[in-house]
Amino acid sequence: MLLGVSVLVFLLVHLVPGDPIRTAMGPRYDPEVYQRLSERAGFDQPLPVQYGQWLAGAVTGDLGVSFRTGRPVMGALLERLPATLTLAFASVVVALLIALPLGVLSAVRSGSKLDYAATVFSQVGISIPDFWMGILFILVFAEYLQILPASGYASLLDDPVAWLRHLLMPAVTIGVVSGSILTRFVRSSVLESLGQDYVRTARAKGLSERVVVTRHVLRNALIPFVTVTGLQLATLLGGVIIVEFVFAWPGLGLLALQAVDARDYTVLQGAVLLIATLFLLINLVVDLLYAWLDPRIKY
Amino acid sequence: MGAVAVSRQQRWLAFLRVVVANRLAAAGLVVIVLLALAAIFGEFLAPYPPSDLDVTSRLQPPSGAHPFGTDELGRDVLSRVIVGARVSVQVAAIAVGISLVAGVLTGLVAGYYGGRVDTVLMRLMDVLFAFPAILLAIAILAVLGPGLTNAMIAIGVVFTPIFARITRASVLSVREEVYVRAARSLGASDARLIALHVLPNVLAPVIVQTSISLAFAILNEAALSFLGLGVQPPRPSWGRMLFEGRGFVRQAWWMAVFPGAAIFVTVLSFNVLGDALRDALDPRQKSAIEARGGGGPA
Amino acid sequence: MSEPLLEVADLRIRFHTRRGVASVVNGVTWSVRPGETVAIVGESGSGKSVSTLAILGLVPQPPGEVSGSVRFEGRELVGASDADLRRMRGNDIAMVFQDPMTSLNPVLTVGRQITEALELHLGLRGDAARRRAAELLDQVGIPSPDRRLDSYPHQMSGGMRQRVMIAIALACDPKVLIADEPTTALDVTIQAQIVELIDGLQAERGMGVVWITHDLGVVAGLADRVLVMYGGQVVEEAPVSRLYASPAHPYTQGLLAALPVLGEHRDELQTIAGLPPDPSDLPPGCLFWPRCPKRLDARCQTERPVLRPAGPDHRVATFYDAGSEVASGA
Repeated sequence: MLLGVSVLVFLLVHLVPGDPIRTAMGPRYDPEVYQRLSERAGFDQPLPVQYGQWLAGAVTGDLGVSFRTGRPVMGALLERLPATLTLAFASVVVALLIALPLGVLSAVRSGSKLDYAATVFSQVGISIPDFWMGILFILVFAEYLQILPASGYASLLDDPVAWLRHLLMPAVTIGVVSGSILTRFVRSSVLESLGQDYVRTARAKGLSERVVVTRHVLRNALIPFVTVTGLQLATLLGGVIIVEFVFAWPGLGLLALQAVDARDYTVLQGAVLLIATLFLLINLVVDLLYAWLDPRIKY
Repeated sequence: MGAVAVSRQQRWLAFLRVVVANRLAAAGLVVIVLLALAAIFGEFLAPYPPSDLDVTSRLQPPSGAHPFGTDELGRDVLSRVIVGARVSVQVAAIAVGISLVAGVLTGLVAGYYGGRVDTVLMRLMDVLFAFPAILLAIAILAVLGPGLTNAMIAIGVVFTPIFARITRASVLSVREEVYVRAARSLGASDARLIALHVLPNVLAPVIVQTSISLAFAILNEAALSFLGLGVQPPRPSWGRMLFEGRGFVRQAWWMAVFPGAAIFVTVLSFNVLGDALRDALDPRQKSAIEARGGGGPA
Repeated sequence: MSEPLLEVADLRIRFHTRRGVASVVNGVTWSVRPGETVAIVGESGSGKSVSTLAILGLVPQPPGEVSGSVRFEGRELVGASDADLRRMRGNDIAMVFQDPMTSLNPVLTVGRQITEALELHLGLRGDAARRRAAELLDQVGIPSPDRRLDSYPHQMSGGMRQRVMIAIALACDPKVLIADEPTTALDVTIQAQIVELIDGLQAERGMGVVWITHDLGVVAGLADRVLVMYGGQVVEEAPVSRLYASPAHPYTQGLLAALPVLGEHRDELQTIAGLPPDPSDLPPGCLFWPRCPKRLDARCQTERPVLRPAGPDHRVATFYDAGSEVASGA
């Protein structure tokens, strides 16, 4: 899988019409630098050889150097990684904080006003453009109320309060969108689980509805839910890229977009590869979690 | 064939009944019709030419003359929102068209022939699926260069795997049905089998997915234009207007609020309609709803 | 004779659906005494399962609507508070369900699913609960019960799982056991084992057993009394030997005729033609009228027969009179 991804990422750059190094250097063209970059990139070799070299490098953490700055790509990526991981993790937390209680409640009280409200919320959340919501947040909280910073990032270690204040709006923006999609999945998997025979057995034992839901329904409902969440993370990571742009959050997504702007293809290549790898890693974790939740599956 | 036609007609009737019964779905349909009108007749409907500059009325708040206000160059935001519908509709329709054709073909071939063909094709789809959609679209546009046509191609490529997967799943479920095997044993050609027996069964899930994909295509096109990778100025597009409005959030909130609201309402309409379609066309989902609504333990 | 444990009187259950009101159970009366086995027989959709769910208060309301009376040792259960019903469920009245494949929770160990009832009703915890659970598994005939406590349902066969279900039901020494087609999903040999198991446990404990089935054949060796349900009504009620010897309702006669007889070769299995009535559109007269081979037109179509005596402890709801036919034919 990862191999396929790497081929695709590799090909992306090599399908660029024209000479990517020349394009990247633009007006600052310097024949000497060009020569050096060109040799380093190995553009004179046949494609499969180039791919082999690039892959060998990638495995050992060498993704080449930036066509624009000449700095190693890996360094730039690692510099940006913590910000993206922070935002992604915080967004997942927000999404789950919304989706789990709302989805469970609306399933348990299916057909109630709360269920209806949850349905409306998730429909709105799925349809709202995340970048627009981010701008609306900036408009309300940064410009009008002036209680949160409009953009930027602070390190958790340097200033935890500033870190949280900067993190809040981007994380909520992504969290609401992902959370509203997940609310649907929680609701439908809880509903499905509620209709199962073992729930009737549990009720016939005299267990209270609360125990029936928490002990018997939830654990079973989580199994399909976890799978969906894994897939959903692709959307979430996509949201991270755009929201990083809206809030000038210095993560991988912003780096990728800057690289597109600068036509810095090695950096773009590295960023895309890293984000796709992250996504695959998350799915691996999800698979492990799945096995842990479901005793019927053993690896 | 007669039986199939009747059941299909019944399904469409069921869909219409859902639309009529469900006021939300009806509202969605109305919005989509308005959107189509705006996309076709935009210039005639707009109160001002969308690219007319008016330096004397820059950054005007909403008023009778300019219900949605004006932008930093004095252009009427309402007119630009109306005309901007065209880009959204065009990109979404063509992009989804590309992924529909590519995905359904891939899924049909993979599912029908199985074996190595299936493995190779679906592996390829899996690889495409391993990227966040917007990231893959960004990467494709980085290679092809920004622009309307390239945005269509990028979104089309990104949406292909989902159609391929859905189609393949339906084909697999139909392939071993008795009537298909019977037809094969009678010597029907592959093309005939696919067209006559497999394709009609694939239709319902694909129609539902098309509606959902249209919603996401509009979102993605807006996102790409917002990032400066889609439509290039001066052509009005909602995403691009949002990008420009973002720089003036402090002075002119209307520049960002109205184009975003247009995207939101459009996407919402497609999603609501997609849900109604699913209720009407997807029997599995339908039975789930009926089970919830009626009957009990028996 | 001892007092009845459980008395059901004029029980009615309706479901409000989008297509109208479905009358699933239409005035059912029966009772069960300690040590007695009552079999309720009927096709699927006859209302036999729903009526037992209603006893435990497990019919969701809405969309369901339950009326009439269900008394356990004199206490009224219809309309009782949820807390009272919960105290009674699994403790006084326990239930074994049809499909052991789906009736056990796949993600909890067998032991946990037994101990949670012990915890709830008897206050047993930790080792004490575990020991008791192992005893129960032993009693239902599961080998090496200690080890089995930590198994998950998917690691057991269908028969074993049904034994676990029975162990769960027996955990708190219930006075009434309701067995809802407990053998339908099992192989024939396993079926016999389960029947035997429940029979033995009943003799040991003096429970009242309500056995729900669609198969009159299962009933023969195990029930004291049989109720035949059709369209949400009891159409015939008799001691088991009498029912087999002289069934009075055309429907019961049809069911008995449909039973395969061991060693007897038949070219085709006899069945009753037609479908049970749609509970949301019940005919005004006898519910069995459309399928009845003995129907007398005018009266059967317009008037619904009620249960009337047809012999000692034998009641039937039909206008058809087997005796009179013989008489008039003579």
